[in-house]
Amino acid sequence: MLGRFDYERPTNLAEAVRLFAETPSAAILAGGTDLLVELRSGRHAPRLLVDVKRVDGLRRLDVGPRGDLTIGAAVSLNELLEHAATRWSFPGLAQAAASIATYQLRNRATVTGNLCNASPAADLAPALLVLGAAVGVAGPRGARVIPVAEFFAGVKRTTLRRGEIATEVRIPAPEPELRSAFLKQQRLRGHDLAVANVAGALAPSTGTLRLAFGSCAPTPILLAPIETKGMSAVAVGAAAAAATLAAASPISDVRASAEYRRAVLPVLVRRVVAELLGGGAT
Amino acid sequence: MNGRLETATVPAGMTLLEFLRGRLCLVGTKEGCGIGECGACTVLLDGKPVTACLVLAVEADGGAVDTIEGEARDGELSALQKAFIEAGAIQCGFCTPGMIMSARGLLRRIPNPTDDEIVEAMAGNLCRCTGYEAILEAVRVAAQAKAVPHAGQMVAGQSAGGSGSQGGRLSSPRVPGEGGGRG
Ligand SMILES: Cc1cc2nc3c(=O)[nH]c(=O)nc-3n(C[C@H](O)[C@H](O)[C@H](O)COP(=O)(O)OP(=O)(O)OC[C@H]3O[C@@H](n4cnc5c(N)ncnc54)[C@H](O)[C@@H]3O)c2cc1C
Ligand code: FES
Ligand code: FES
Repeated sequence: MLGRFDYERPTNLAEAVRLFAETPSAAILAGGTDLLVELRSGRHAPRLLVDVKRVDGLRRLDVGPRGDLTIGAAVSLNELLEHAATRWSFPGLAQAAASIATYQLRNRATVTGNLCNASPAADLAPALLVLGAAVGVAGPRGARVIPVAEFFAGVKRTTLRRGEIATEVRIPAPEPELRSAFLKQQRLRGHDLAVANVAGALAPSTGTLRLAFGSCAPTPILLAPIETKGMSAVAVGAAAAAATLAAASPISDVRASAEYRRAVLPVLVRRVVAELLGGGAT
Repeated sequence: MNGRLETATVPAGMTLLEFLRGRLCLVGTKEGCGIGECGACTVLLDGKPVTACLVLAVEADGGAVDTIEGEARDGELSALQKAFIEAGAIQCGFCTPGMIMSARGLLRRIPNPTDDEIVEAMAGNLCRCTGYEAILEAVRVAAQAKAVPHAGQMVAGQSAGGSGSQGGRLSSPRVPGEGGGRG
């Protein structure tokens, strides 16, 4: 038994928001792959779970007319991976999703849950940060949109207010020919959170490179855009690695020491840059 | 539940795994880690492999659950079970029910999987006894033997020919440098 709590499975968003906002100590249940582990450990003992997987509209996975993508809060990682338009337009996001956990878990784990869990190691976070994604939110005081860059408040803390439910992740229309990539350093392949993860997106027409990384600070971090026009891939890689290290504040934990993280992070950054800009990897 | 209707009232905190083993006495499904890491508890929920230790029993309300107990029919092992025996993919057998359910989920989605697809589907199932190669071979053998699911196991709206979404057969993208940290 994972604890003593009630369970509700509303089908309507207003009802879900009401249940969640009105019950002290309620928790949202999406795929449960983080939450049920927390419940089992006793670290978290909510009185009510509000399962959002059957809420109308949250299963949507739509591409807008200009190529923008909306991923409803009930969409699983495998559903995202089976979505041809996502793999085609946002390969870095697909690589990040494919790197998470195991096939069985990806059938349950949701895209939105990966962000809401607010782990510094959440693999989708850097991949979504470089795409300029945002989280759609519904709450007792109405709906709003939070850029992913403003979504994380600290380890396991988001900027969602009391009673607010994330309803979807929105990715804006990609710039023409947008390239994206994701790399993750793990102790072993599968079954493990990242020691460090790095995502990049390059808009070839403007030469603007966006980079984000995780597992090396209390929250995933998006760097200021880097202009690459007229620079070699090696020079960009060196500048990006320096900027990344300046923004990182890694700790030592069960997965790796802070020193190791500082050593591996620039390697991943240079590899992502080399993949996006072409030229030799270092 | 394996094609039969089961009605029960359960506490919300009960996992699907506890329900299967404790209430229905379907003890073929095993508990290894209890936290989603080993795959011993793998069952199909609405045709898809999931770890039953990370699903609440109430979440399966109204859904179709397939367990290892549904594999053999009229005392005859399924082609998949036979393939595991023939390939020597079983020693203590603790991981086997989960392995078979992962393989069943794969073969329903992709009847003729590539080696990469087999590895992806089976990577969430740990075995402490056999080599994984024998297990992968068992899945290959079963696929060649056209291990089509029993009629009773088919999920409404699903065919053995694919997920039906986006034209079926789509393997996950390669993760560049996956495990690349090793380099
Ligand atoms: C064995 C194992 C391996 C894993 N490997 C990885 C990995 O490699 N990389 C990685 O990034 N993660 C990994 N995870 C963590 C987890 O699987 C992912 O973070 C997953 O995407 C979480 O999604 P979920 O739908 O299961 O979230 P849930 O567990 O349902 O929810 C997670 C948290 O977010 C809240 N929440 C969920 N949805 C909403 C919503 N719509 N609105 C508001 N709050 C919400 C919940 O209340 C809870 O606090 C792993 C987990 C396990 C058990
Ligand atoms: S017991 Fe469920 S994954 Fe290990
Ligand atoms: S046969 Fe013993 S764990 Fe796999």
